[in-house]
Amino acid sequence: MLFFRSEDALDEWCKAGQLPRRPTATLPQLWQMAVSWYANRLSEEARRPDPSEIRQIFARIGLTDSFWDPRADEF
Amino acid sequence: MDNTSDVTLRTAVYRHFASTGRSPTLDEMREAIGATSDQIKDAYQRLYARRMLVPADDFASIRMAPPFSGVPTQHRVTVNGTQYFANCAWDAFGVVSALGGTGDVRSRCEQTLDPLVLHLTPDGPPPSEWLFHCVVPAAKWWNDIVFT
Repeated sequence: MLFFRSEDALDEWCKAGQLPRRPTATLPQLWQMAVSWYANRLSEEARRPDPSEIRQIFARIGLTDSFWDPRADEF
Repeated sequence: MDNTSDVTLRTAVYRHFASTGRSPTLDEMREAIGATSDQIKDAYQRLYARRMLVPADDFASIRMAPPFSGVPTQHRVTVNGTQYFANCAWDAFGVVSALGGTGDVRSRCEQTLDPLVLHLTPDGPPPSEWLFHCVVPAAKWWNDIVFT
């Protein structure tokens, strides 16, 4: 889970490492992911979202590719 | 230790990271919650099974208490003057979120090695063309969470 300054830089990195090019997220989307997962992480009630909640979070953020589906079996 | 004690331990681990920026030692957790080393190691295993933290191989420290990293990484975060390491790009933002929503992230582009410096607020990051990318699909993130 890494940062890249541009699509071109990401393409070069994937090619150099012979790694698959996956869907990307913008930094505003990443911030929403971080808030959804971690905003209450220091509380005693903290827990990781379950798979259905994960789907809802990604859908709300606009990440709808099956890559983001915690139960996808196509990868 | 029971589930209630597991929550107490988990909370103590996270609060230690939050207040110091580093992993607690086994001795520090033993003193914090009044348990034996074996009890804490067993609780670490249960918390790992629930995907709440990843102990180091020797259980002497915590490798990951997401979003906090117990080892140095390229993802550095500063909140209220305390410096933290995050496990990944997502967790760099996560450290700021967990600690109130305002802080500075310093990381890099993995291809060009250009530095990334961001000041985050509860409204999110400033306008930027930078991207987040993950090689591992969501369904396999915890197959090897350290690699992910």
